[in-house]
Amino acid sequence: MILNNLKIAWRSILKNKLFSFINVIGLSIGLCAAMVIGAIVYYDFSFDKFHTDGDRIYRIVSVFKSKEGEFSNRGVAVPLMRTFQEGVAGVEVTAPFMNTTFYKVQNREANLDFKDIENSIMADDAYFELFQYEWLAGDKATALSGPGQVVLSQKKAEIYFPHTQMANVVGRTLVYNDSIPVKVTGVVADFKEKSDLNFTEFMSMASAKIFDEQDITTSDQWNSTSSGDQLFIKVADLSRLNEIQSRLDALALEHKNMEPWAVDDDRLFVLQPLSEIHFGGKYGDFPFNNSEHVASMSVLKSLAFVALFLLLLGCANFINLNSAQALTRAKEIGIRKTLGSSKKQVVRQFLGETLILTSLAAVVSLFLAPLLLQQFMDFLPSGINLGVLFSPQGILGIVLLILVVSILSGFYPAFVLSRFKPVSVLKGQFVKGDKGVRLRKTLTVFQFVVAQVFVISTMLVGKQLYYVMNKDMGIKTDAIAYVNLPWNNNTEQKKERLLERIKEIKGLSNVSWANNPPASNSVSSTMLTYFQDGAEMHQETEILWGDINYLKTYNIPILSGRERLNDSIQEYVVNEAFAKALGFQEPSEVVGTMLKLDTMNIPVVGLMKDFNQRSLKSDIRPLALTGNWKNRSFSMINSIHFDLGNNSEQWSESIEQVENAWAAVYPDEEVKVKFMDEIVQGFYRKEKSTVQLLKWATGLAILISCMGLLGLVVYTTERRIKEIGVRKVLGANLAQLNMLLCKEFLLLVGIAFVLSVPIAWYLIEEWIQGFAYKTTLSWWVFMSSGVGMVLVALAVIGTRTYRTANINPVESLRSE
Amino acid sequence: MLLQLNNIFKWVNSGGQRIFLLKDINLEVEEGEFISIMGPSGSGKSTLLNVIGMLDTFDEGEYNFLEESVHDLKEKHRANLYKEYIGFVFQSYHLLDELTVQENLEMPLIYKKFKGSERKAMVADMLDRFSIVGKKDLFPAQLSGGQQQLVGIARALISNPKLILADEPTGNLNSKQGEEIMELFKQLNDEGVTIIQVTHSEKNAEYGSRIINLLDGRMI
Repeated sequence: MILNNLKIAWRSILKNKLFSFINVIGLSIGLCAAMVIGAIVYYDFSFDKFHTDGDRIYRIVSVFKSKEGEFSNRGVAVPLMRTFQEGVAGVEVTAPFMNTTFYKVQNREANLDFKDIENSIMADDAYFELFQYEWLAGDKATALSGPGQVVLSQKKAEIYFPHTQMANVVGRTLVYNDSIPVKVTGVVADFKEKSDLNFTEFMSMASAKIFDEQDITTSDQWNSTSSGDQLFIKVADLSRLNEIQSRLDALALEHKNMEPWAVDDDRLFVLQPLSEIHFGGKYGDFPFNNSEHVASMSVLKSLAFVALFLLLLGCANFINLNSAQALTRAKEIGIRKTLGSSKKQVVRQFLGETLILTSLAAVVSLFLAPLLLQQFMDFLPSGINLGVLFSPQGILGIVLLILVVSILSGFYPAFVLSRFKPVSVLKGQFVKGDKGVRLRKTLTVFQFVVAQVFVISTMLVGKQLYYVMNKDMGIKTDAIAYVNLPWNNNTEQKKERLLERIKEIKGLSNVSWANNPPASNSVSSTMLTYFQDGAEMHQETEILWGDINYLKTYNIPILSGRERLNDSIQEYVVNEAFAKALGFQEPSEVVGTMLKLDTMNIPVVGLMKDFNQRSLKSDIRPLALTGNWKNRSFSMINSIHFDLGNNSEQWSESIEQVENAWAAVYPDEEVKVKFMDEIVQGFYRKEKSTVQLLKWATGLAILISCMGLLGLVVYTTERRIKEIGVRKVLGANLAQLNMLLCKEFLLLVGIAFVLSVPIAWYLIEEWIQGFAYKTTLSWWVFMSSGVGMVLVALAVIGTRTYRTANINPVESLRSE
Repeated sequence: MLLQLNNIFKWVNSGGQRIFLLKDINLEVEEGEFISIMGPSGSGKSTLLNVIGMLDTFDEGEYNFLEESVHDLKEKHRANLYKEYIGFVFQSYHLLDELTVQENLEMPLIYKKFKGSERKAMVADMLDRFSIVGKKDLFPAQLSGGQQQLVGIARALISNPKLILADEPTGNLNSKQGEEIMELFKQLNDEGVTIIQVTHSEKNAEYGSRIINLLDGRMI
């Protein structure tokens, strides 16, 4: 029976090649999207799932509430760690650690030097009690108990001690930062499962003092929070979370920052479950300082929606085509029923057919999936691959997907087919005005609404992206480049030598030293104090450090007042936003204001024109530019900026000269010239990937919908061949016939357009709220996307209707 | 007695008027009979056949088939009844285009849940009986009309029905093929199968043991 049904199914699939093709392609696009997106989602949900008692492991993070909004910091104040170490009711294990970097590690026995060591933490034995590593050598209980002890991951140990057995690594000595001898006390295997805890070097917490880091035992900096200072705990029992939280609330209150500028603000300590760390929690932080990827729940959700819609489009196609086709198969059903088939058997047969088509589509999509994934590789973490599809869970998932899709798309057509009464079918008279028509039209409208929403969204997101990337930010970004100076092994003399050498390069102009470029993702801000009507006022202000060439380099005009007198004088040039924040109606009046920083009084000498300090997602914030007047050991200079000039042919030569100059001053360090226009482009990486995703989703949605439309047109025109013949005999011309046939489909596309406009408008309106600078949602975008869709639909419909209208009535009217 | 129709009426309402398709039909059919139903187009021949075959319903009257009161049965039971006892032969054969001759013959057996080996044997038997073994792997489109009808009859017979209902079985065939089919019916009737056929042709009607004439839904 089953075999028989399969055989019949296979033959009827082959018989209707066009329909089967459309069905399979439509479904496989949906399945393919579901598989790829499923793999992405699965990837992000499979981090740190393997830890013993993982559900009881929490991290404590800080949340700051002020009138500027809410901010979070994944770290906590160091003294909080001590409080927990001393014991908090309900906490079983307290494991604090600090992200750190070392600028140099030496294996002097083997004469090996390693620079810029990342992925390191300072921890104590509790860390290894909380997170279970496999110990290849050393004693887990004491490995980090004293100063000058380090545990290495296996990979790291193999790098530091090549060709050495792990057991022999223990007991060896490494020299850190040129002078600190540290003994290796253990080697642990790297986690085989996916984890954000990708640390490779574990320095004992007791060494903090030697490394000049904050010491838990003595620190009392309750109001200083560094994102690298991590506090993990294991709670004794989940029911005691409230108890711990109230203790945290009490601690936060007890140690509230009572400085006058902070007295209105709140700092909270929040428990974050281990399972949320990969998603960054409420504020989307990266999991750790050394993390390269944070999963975004909202991105995953939108991806899942895209997959769902593509899948539904495929199913809609299937339902449409098969219930339309039902009439051509009615004869078969009639015969089957007179031969003794029951309704149930007919349903089963057609569900079987659907299952075959879906499975076929799944096989096709397995081949398409790598191609689709390739498209998104640019903005996905590198660890994602489709291997998971072939794991037991993956296969189970695919099988479930096939079953659900089969039932979803096969049930209605099967139901329609099984309802046919044999006698009416065999008499050759079909039920007129069959009810499926309305459903098919609804489904077609649904498909086109989805496609149209995608089209409009893509166009508007693209328009916004074009707008922000091309809007004048108020600074010169073309032909401007800079180099960041090394942060260790550096001296002021070296910096000055490099500056002098770069100044000598002929092709460059406006060479300037500074801290950050005027627009970047890094922000330094400080609280400036001023007096207004005798009252002391505070203004959170972003600070830029640059010499007196800086404004010239970036072409930022001074509107009133003057430039600072020299590079190291205590004077500020502020922007218009700052003046407004201070309450000046006329921004130029800000010149002459005295500002107080700590104990120093610093005058505002000039007003510069506003420019965007970050992407256009955020507004222009109050900003002050100043020079390098702090003492030399705290120099703010860390980059040299220059203008490459208008002659682009000379650029590569100039850059080569910069690199040569660098090599002469810093022979051991690598040089990296950064271009300002690329920095600005980099602000919009996420938006670019959104556009990329939308483009694909749009293309696929249009493809599926048009195929569905084509199928429907084929079916409808074939049904109307006789009518067309009669009309032709009566004198209708080609154009009239085409119009007649197209009308009903264009109406559907039109309805879809009308429905999709408000949906798309609402979605984009939501999305664009993330930008401080918004493009207009112009009516012509909506109109042109609607017209475009009608044209595409017309092209699809026209190919068929033209053919039908051309059929010779002699043929179509011949009775058998 | 195989079946009995008492005062069967069937009508449709059209434009406020009741149009009778069947009017007061009374008919008794004994096992082993070969009945021909005749009449002009639209006289209700096929409707009567469909009512007898339980594919169509009627509005008034009683229909007893092998002691069962068909008019009291639910659709599902009615379907079971005709599945069990009735085989259909159609004017335009109605073979399944996607299936070979052999598979077409097998179809009713599958629905009656015969085992694979049994089905094979019965199909082989039937192919043999109708001398179409050589055609068993061909599709309907590869056969002539006469051969298709032969398969149609073989398919109707394969599950040993008590009654064969044939709706103009020779309507699409030329006279020689038609004659062969009628000879076949005659032979089957001699072997004990009850047959009711609808036909336009006096000559074909003569093969039957009884002729029923219909006009505007009435027996005359």
